Amino acid sequence: MIHRMTSLRIGIDVGGTFTDAVLLDCLNVAAEQKVPTRSDALLETVLTALDALRLPRDAAIDQITVSTTLITNAILQKRLTPTELLLIPGYGMRLDALAWPVPYRALQGQLDFRGREIAAVETTEVQEEARRLSLINPCSSVAIVGKFSHRNNAQELGVEQILKKTAPQLRTTLGHRWGGANIYRRALTAYLNLACQDEFAAFADGLRQAVRQRGFTAPLQILKADGGVLPLEDIRAVDTVYSGPAASMLGALADSGEDMPDSYVVIDVGGTSTDMGLILDRVPMWSAKGAKIGGFSTQIRAMAVRSLAMGGDSVVQVEDGQVRIQPYRAGLPCCRGGPELTPTDAMCYLGIVAIGDQNKAAEGLARQCPVDQTPESLSALAQEILNVMSQKITDAVMDLEREWRDEPTYKIWQVLHPQQQGNFPIWLSGGPAPGLLRDLTRQSGRAVRSGTRSGLANAIGAALARPAFSRTLHLDTVVGRYRIAETGEQGVWQGSPRPHKEITRLMEEIMTRESERRGLAPDDWQKEVFDFFPVVDGYSAVGQVVRGSWHVPAGIMGRVNQ
Amino acid sequence: MKKTALMFFPAFDWSLGSTHPEREERLLYTQEQLFEEGVMDLPQIVQLNPIVAPLKAVCRTQAIFPSSEEQDLEAHRIAAGSALVMGDAWARQEIHNGFALVRPPGHHAGAVVWGNRGFCTLNNEAILINHLRSQYGYRKIAVVDTDVHHGDGTQNIFWHDPNVLFISLHQDGRTLYPGSGFVDELGGVNAWGQTLNIPMPPGTGDDGYLYMLEHWVLPKLQEFQPDVVINSAGQDNHYSDPLARMNVSARGYGQITELVRPDIAVLEGGYSIETALPYVNLAILLALAGEDYSQVQEPSNRRHTDVSLKDFKQYYQDLRAKQESQRVTWDKERVKHLLNQEWAHEDYSVYYDTEGFQETRQEYVRPCAYCGGTVVIMSKVRLHSDVCVLVRIPFLACETCRRTGLDVWQSLSERSQESHRYGSILLQNQADDDIRLWKRYEGVTKF
Ligand SMILES: [Zn+2]
Ligand SMILES: [Zn+2]
Repeated sequence: MIHRMTSLRIGIDVGGTFTDAVLLDCLNVAAEQKVPTRSDALLETVLTALDALRLPRDAAIDQITVSTTLITNAILQKRLTPTELLLIPGYGMRLDALAWPVPYRALQGQLDFRGREIAAVETTEVQEEARRLSLINPCSSVAIVGKFSHRNNAQELGVEQILKKTAPQLRTTLGHRWGGANIYRRALTAYLNLACQDEFAAFADGLRQAVRQRGFTAPLQILKADGGVLPLEDIRAVDTVYSGPAASMLGALADSGEDMPDSYVVIDVGGTSTDMGLILDRVPMWSAKGAKIGGFSTQIRAMAVRSLAMGGDSVVQVEDGQVRIQPYRAGLPCCRGGPELTPTDAMCYLGIVAIGDQNKAAEGLARQCPVDQTPESLSALAQEILNVMSQKITDAVMDLEREWRDEPTYKIWQVLHPQQQGNFPIWLSGGPAPGLLRDLTRQSGRAVRSGTRSGLANAIGAALARPAFSRTLHLDTVVGRYRIAETGEQGVWQGSPRPHKEITRLMEEIMTRESERRGLAPDDWQKEVFDFFPVVDGYSAVGQVVRGSWHVPAGIMGRVNQ
Repeated sequence: MKKTALMFFPAFDWSLGSTHPEREERLLYTQEQLFEEGVMDLPQIVQLNPIVAPLKAVCRTQAIFPSSEEQDLEAHRIAAGSALVMGDAWARQEIHNGFALVRPPGHHAGAVVWGNRGFCTLNNEAILINHLRSQYGYRKIAVVDTDVHHGDGTQNIFWHDPNVLFISLHQDGRTLYPGSGFVDELGGVNAWGQTLNIPMPPGTGDDGYLYMLEHWVLPKLQEFQPDVVINSAGQDNHYSDPLARMNVSARGYGQITELVRPDIAVLEGGYSIETALPYVNLAILLALAGEDYSQVQEPSNRRHTDVSLKDFKQYYQDLRAKQESQRVTWDKERVKHLLNQEWAHEDYSVYYDTEGFQETRQEYVRPCAYCGGTVVIMSKVRLHSDVCVLVRIPFLACETCRRTGLDVWQSLSERSQESHRYGSILLQNQADDDIRLWKRYEGVTKF
């Protein structure tokens, strides 16, 4: 299905302080609303924002996309369903060499790096485990994760089968569904997903019902950490962490003009936090490893973003003559009747933005300047606050660019063709953005631009997000198995030992299946060059290991009209 | 926290042939193993990225003849560059130690390079060592080569250098490539005793290997007091290696690493890519990172039986006695075309097995009580009509040797201007970090 040129889309972005909703008629903003976020009642917040758009009942909405902090908050606030973690580690590095945020138990069994069995699973040991688990709770949630299960899921499936036979009510999940190498991250991802599944299901059900009650039949989508969208029914709970920063990146793509360069830094300044990420050749950069959240290192594919606990409403204090921007807020800025000095007051006092009362801003500044309260010294303090803020942002941007430059390379071709050197221009968005434009330009020494819809960009980004997905193939023709990292799909390979066109056919089949399911054009794929490793036994080539991915990259349907 | 760097550069797009031991697949399973274990998530591990080693860093250490443009160096320069990046991180104290898990290897590549031998073209460790000396002023460097093959290239490069202690432990050269590394090879006249070769019998095993380290290598290191310890960490001592028979296990490698305590380890050989490398690499890295490697165990069983420790102790005693009975000897010779001065002189040849040709060298060193001495190597291969020359002024050279080196290079290139006697003449002035190449028809290039 090709997307119609006329369409009504709703984007809702749940932020830490405010939740924004927009209605887009094609690429025009038809309505926009902002409501306070109630972090203890996110479903209600989303519905309040939706209702604030005042759409007629039965309005012909084509699509509703929500970016939500639900799962991020659930993990950070440890609102998780009790879940057990069973590992099949075999020999190797000791498990406790790594920091595990949750307890685990280790079972017998071992595979090697090509998925061949070295030691079998012990049936009696697993049965005993099943009895132990059902004593704790007959419906215990159990994540089962084996070393090299991403190469061969047989032992995980075996353990699951024995567990269920002994204790049929157990809820299980398996590690191989979380893709690539790294048992530690696969285990924690599988664990987290199972542990926040209930919370997400309750939200999803509530949202679906409420939307239907309002007479909308539009498909409901959730924005994922990787900037893609998925229908509410298909999404795995943990894939929705960090959908806020993903919305920022897409918002920048949607809001920046045609003349913006292809690669730039996005900085989204909010009330108490500032998110930043990189757009490279019009595509947001993904983190090479998965997302980290609340002590959990995961395999969740996420954009590479940096977050600073600092925004327009952060409390500012002066200690020993040093300006400190605190990681919390105390309500509104002084200039809008709040109790504590904030960067927004500095912008207001200096006349950079026309928000609030300049006299109140001056009072706030004066409280931090007990000795010398002349206008000159208040100005100097206000300026220093903006300097400190801009410097911190500039440092974080450079850190982010360093991460990108230092991404490991494993091929000669990559070393001989190094990445560009960074120092990208900056796109600044978010409510306080206009007030930072001047100082950030000076401090960073880069071109800085900001949009006209700074406060709404994230909701627009959510509304315009395209479905995005990847399929990464790992094929070992000698062992005779293939695996798809993103879905955990594994199968038997019956093709030739040194395939070439067969690989293309297999990838086309896999990609077409997914594209059709998502209503996407069946050929709009970015195809990476595959690696072919001849596998040698003795002195003759017996087959190949083949690796590579095809993508539908994250992005937006179009730029919004200014 | 003490950081351990991992430079993982598997060169997944390079090979010496699709079924050659040095092929794309070589580090594939090591990558699978390290990544799957979650090694990159250990808080002390930092990953580094390679660069292409600058030609100056290469030519400071090795003479590429007839010139660097005429050889295929790409992959080799990246492997060497990997070692340099790690050296920089170490010298700037950003890391406590590190493992350059890179290919292609380097320890068979010597002072002069006409092509690939023993899978090596550039000597990654030697290039690193001279980089550390020239850029950071380190004076005393020790190399412990634990590859099963004699590190003949590294030995050749530092043969005359009293400030580099080169120790190679390997399977006896009478039973294995390259057929050198005997206990009487102890270094050149100005660096006698700074080369130590410890050939060991097939079937030595973990216990014998560790015994040799504890009783001979560690005391020697202790005595030398190096500023930096480099480990040429070949993995072909493993019991499943197809080329050698030393019978060492992955855990044994962990213990070797723990005893040698290298500042920087660089991968050398090791071609048992499924049954050894993933486990040996893991054990070495864990040992460097201060983690427990006792749970690392290869799934295969040992093929050979160990030499008994009793027999091995006797072997060690005999070998030591033989080494201690050696005395330094050399032929002194007045050489007309080398400023008509007196030089210690030696002729030998080097075989390039990858491409199958022979190089003949006439090597001269100026006997000197104050420094490593000026070195001149006249080199010739049959497929090339020209004689090429390396003139080396060593690190910390005395003024006389420095002057001599400059004069020799000057006089040879001037004379060759008319006579066309030499094709290329490389000046490796390590003392002043001035590296320049004179080439017939082209003149002087300064690196
Ligand atoms: Zn070797
Ligand atoms: Zn001298």
